[in-house]
Amino acid sequence: MLEKRHRRHRNNQVDLDVSEISLKKKRFRLIVMFGSFMSAMAFLISISISSGGVIPLSDAIGALLSSIGKALENDRNLDIIELYIYNGRLPRTMAAIAVGAGLAIAGCMYQAVIRNPLVDPYITGVSSGAGCFATAATALGFSIPFLLDNSLYLIPVVAIAGGLIAFAITMTVAECSGGASINYILSGIIVGFAFASIQTIFMTLGKNHLTDVMWWLYGSFAYITWENAWIVFVPVIGVSLITMIWAREFNLYSMGEDQAAQLGLNVKMFKRLTMIVASILTSLCVAFVGIIGFVGLVVPHACRMALGSDHRLIMPASIVIGAMLMLFADLIARTVMSPAELPVGAITAMIGTPVFAYMLMKRGRDYEG
Amino acid sequence: MKDETAVLRIRGLVKEFDGFRALNGIDLEFGKGLLIGLIGPNGCGKSTMIKCISRIYPQTEGIIEVNGNNISEMKVMDVAKMVANVPAEVGQTFGISVMDMVMLGRYPFVDRIWWENPEDERISREALRTFGIDHLRRKQVSLCSSGERQRALIAKAYVQEPILMLVDEPTSHLDIKYKLQVMEYLQKMARSDMTVVVAEHDISLMARYCDVCVIMKKGEIVAVGDPKVIITEQLIRDVYEVDARVGLDADGEIYMLPKRCLEDCP
Repeated sequence: MLEKRHRRHRNNQVDLDVSEISLKKKRFRLIVMFGSFMSAMAFLISISISSGGVIPLSDAIGALLSSIGKALENDRNLDIIELYIYNGRLPRTMAAIAVGAGLAIAGCMYQAVIRNPLVDPYITGVSSGAGCFATAATALGFSIPFLLDNSLYLIPVVAIAGGLIAFAITMTVAECSGGASINYILSGIIVGFAFASIQTIFMTLGKNHLTDVMWWLYGSFAYITWENAWIVFVPVIGVSLITMIWAREFNLYSMGEDQAAQLGLNVKMFKRLTMIVASILTSLCVAFVGIIGFVGLVVPHACRMALGSDHRLIMPASIVIGAMLMLFADLIARTVMSPAELPVGAITAMIGTPVFAYMLMKRGRDYEG
Repeated sequence: MKDETAVLRIRGLVKEFDGFRALNGIDLEFGKGLLIGLIGPNGCGKSTMIKCISRIYPQTEGIIEVNGNNISEMKVMDVAKMVANVPAEVGQTFGISVMDMVMLGRYPFVDRIWWENPEDERISREALRTFGIDHLRRKQVSLCSSGERQRALIAKAYVQEPILMLVDEPTSHLDIKYKLQVMEYLQKMARSDMTVVVAEHDISLMARYCDVCVIMKKGEIVAVGDPKVIITEQLIRDVYEVDARVGLDADGEIYMLPKRCLEDCP
């Protein structure tokens, strides 16, 4: 008994002197390991369940591996399951991972730099600009000369253009009004409103073509194929991972811009840079799959509530949680009402809200945003 | 001040905000190991001066030298290794813990991109112990009391290992015990060869602890010197437009007791 108490006492002593950095490193490794494992599981579940039924997990893995092997050897004789998984499931699943991760990390960056918990990736008007252009292109029967009539790329290209134009206007207005965080939020909101109202005009004008753009405005992975999956996956995952090198700089922002500047950060340049990177990331996510809300706003908050304020933990966790939430949302969107597809943005909110509400009730008292 | 190089030398410092002159030609020079008090009414330019010296604001005109180096010509990161700043308030801190905040003070020294070195952690823990807040290191800064938060902020500046520390209104939210405690800490740091500049409203407290006081009004310096010499009833009347009693108590310590406004309230 006494020995037990003694040991406990000694454990407490050890706990008191444990290095905070090594504790964080341990948590970081745990996030990466747990995250990779859970993402892999979600990935496998996602490719094995379809509207038609469930393929046993082992068959799905076998088909996945053999189809990839055949694809690498340029062998085109895929059997039906392989074809289904390789062409139907895999690109879509990859896009869902990338978009979930990208939106979550973009939201995380915006919230840190703007120092406002209500900010989401669409705060700079990217989604409204993209939506407006996509609607205009569809309503007016727009075509881009060198893209032939390939409608697969029409909406993404104009959406990226629209998103970046809206962001450029927001950035100009914000910088001309002093470049403070609140200037970014306000100019983002007015630019967003402007594009949203132009969008409604186009929607009225092009009533007959609206179904062509509806899937995009509500968000969907239905139009993802191998051709565009790469364009989403590689840059979005690449940029998301690269932004993590700024984790310590994001930490500096938690003490405010003055202190960040005093500690040696070029605050104006850094803010501009992260705003541009996060907006490009958001535009890429939005272009092919449309406007999916909730993930970019709530995933970073959930990670902060669970892990504290250090961005070296929040950023990798946001990537993992964002990707997983999006995978499950897409899974539900395409299976529940099949053959009809539900808008994936609605599903992210439907899964996410109860989980987040629970966390909020548990941790909300001490949570600062 | 007899040192070959002064720790802080300011020549003709001017700071304008949209045409308003917050600082109007400041000249100052201080040596090593002094506790310097900046005193003056609200809006006289104390905080602006502190922010100019910390390079948070670029100055409009003039030269600021720290240890003989013109800080406008230095990299921001190198200035952060010599000059530390304790802000009057931090506002929202987004759930950051005391330890994490103190460790941020090591930012200019960490050459890696991801984790701090064990050395940085050792210095931070030592600072936490020095200021008696080691047991709070996992507590959120926002949940700390004002006194604890102030000590954490000073610890954050302390781990920057500066030769010049600038402290903006450190005791404004504190009760008398913590006021004295903070001043004791600052005095101790000054005695260990750090030059500490404090902007404060409590004139008696400043007069009691500071080696030199700088009295400011409307962006200009009114008087510099030993507080016991320069702080007089006439000075308080000129600077604050307030009638006050200035005297020495039984221990020979100076005190200032404000009596009444010279102007009638409208």
